Amino acid sequence: MPLLKVEKVTCGYGDMQVLTDVSIEVKRGEVVSIIGPNGAGKSTVMKAVFGLLHPWSGRIEFDGVDISRHEPYQIVETGMCYVPQVANVFTELTVDENLDMGAFVRSDDQVGDRKQQIFDLFPRLYERRRQKAGKMSGGERQMVAMGSALMLDPKLILLDEPSAGLAPKMVDHIFERIVHVNRSFNIAVMMVEQNAKQSLQMAHRGYVMASGENRVEGTGTELLNDPDVARLYLGG
Amino acid sequence: MTQAGEGVRAAFGPRPGERLKAALQTRSALASVIALFFVLLIAAGLVQDASAGRILSLFVWGVMLGGVIGLGGIGLTLVYGVLKFPNFSHGALATLGAYIAFSTVAYLPKSEPIGPFSFGWELVAGLVIAMPLVGLVAIGVDRVMYRRLRVQRSSLVLFAMASLAMAFFLRSVIYLIWGSDFRFYYQGRANPALDLPLGLRVQADQIFILLLAVVLVTLVYLLLEKTKMGKAMRATANNPELAQVRGINTEKVIAYTWMLSGALAAAGGVMYGLASQLRPEMGFWLLLPMFAAVIMGSIGNPRGALAGAVIIGVAQQVSSAAISPAYGPGVAFVLLVLTLLIRPQGLFGERS
Repeated sequence: MPLLKVEKVTCGYGDMQVLTDVSIEVKRGEVVSIIGPNGAGKSTVMKAVFGLLHPWSGRIEFDGVDISRHEPYQIVETGMCYVPQVANVFTELTVDENLDMGAFVRSDDQVGDRKQQIFDLFPRLYERRRQKAGKMSGGERQMVAMGSALMLDPKLILLDEPSAGLAPKMVDHIFERIVHVNRSFNIAVMMVEQNAKQSLQMAHRGYVMASGENRVEGTGTELLNDPDVARLYLGG
Repeated sequence: MTQAGEGVRAAFGPRPGERLKAALQTRSALASVIALFFVLLIAAGLVQDASAGRILSLFVWGVMLGGVIGLGGIGLTLVYGVLKFPNFSHGALATLGAYIAFSTVAYLPKSEPIGPFSFGWELVAGLVIAMPLVGLVAIGVDRVMYRRLRVQRSSLVLFAMASLAMAFFLRSVIYLIWGSDFRFYYQGRANPALDLPLGLRVQADQIFILLLAVVLVTLVYLLLEKTKMGKAMRATANNPELAQVRGINTEKVIAYTWMLSGALAAAGGVMYGLASQLRPEMGFWLLLPMFAAVIMGSIGNPRGALAGAVIIGVAQQVSSAAISPAYGPGVAFVLLVLTLLIRPQGLFGERS
């Protein structure tokens, strides 16, 4: 049974339909990358999965539970977390407080250990833990955003364009950390990326979206070697 | 701006006019104007033959009044932070708190005054009852009115108008229940001023009010900085969408915010009633100084609201050495206008 199952979901904002019959699956421990041109509806899939938009039709199931009508705060309790592309840190809160908010729904005594693991994952955050997140660089903010999402100890993390606006060196670092999180924490990853080639290289499987539908799916390598996908979405 | 334009700007710096404008809008410019305003107030008081001891006493009373304004202002600024609208009915919540305490005092048997104070334990009981009760009223008002506007994603102006309507509604309810007469917690009981060194004359009640304000403000600070719900309130104020994404039930945070700000407003109202007398418009006259304090201290910033409140409280009291105390709200208004003209984002705000 897949961990996340998006079944023929149609939805949009207000009267504007963005997605048509989108179906996506993420298995336990898997890295899934969604690529496609601007306006293909990639971020909208993320929002629908996380309950920020409710499907007009279709069904979303997570870990055996129908979450189609769940609100985000209920979805967090099921063990899924989401890193939005922009405004993904509390700028007025310190790094430490941002991490605390990531564990908001947890009340167990493992939270302190978890924070230590996050500091080991991103040592820079430990150095800056008393600093306001709003005073940090783009790459550091991305670390704060991912770190606070991981505080939940989730089964699945949704990443919306984690490399957007970062310097190439920082992009490599963030991608390397995502692979590390997937392997050593055994957390499934579903990510949306503009940086199609790099994200397919690290993904187990990928989906290519266009005009609100999923067009092609396959393993990362299959998609990288597919001539149509290469010509249309990977820049030749 | 084009890249060429930026190059020119880098080579020659901003034009002198812009540089002057920028210098006039700094934090220190606003602080200096406020300081100058104080110098003028004190000078005016001395010209009117007020003694140094009297001005010093007025300063202390001003800090006390600042505590009262600050308790209201912290609630106002928290509600603004989380819900993003100016709550014009905040003064009415303070009035309601004062009258609930009044009814409690009237209902309970009178005990002996505590120590040097004018009041007995029944006023303390009134305070303890009024705070959560007004908090619940504030939550109730939110459920009935603001939540519906929130669900419909109404515009800011509708929220502001709704809260103004609620201010008149609550005031009418207070008129209906308690009438329009002036009231005192203890009719005819005096609280003579204590003679302290340096010609300082302060009532024991005023010292009580000041200490209570300090205690409540400290508790609010600890709540916001140290507790999970406090951090969640700050997080929700900072970025409501992300707060939801992190699993924070923002409706619950909103309810806590109303409870806290309603309770603080009630405490402010009880203290204001103790310092002067109770009347149905008392909260309305506190509203202007509260807004002035909140804007001066940068809207959404609780510590700023407190600092602004102390500045405004002291200015109001010191002005009474030179002009009629009835002009107190006018003094707050002058400070509000000065802030808006010089630095609308307030003393602690970043440039927007």
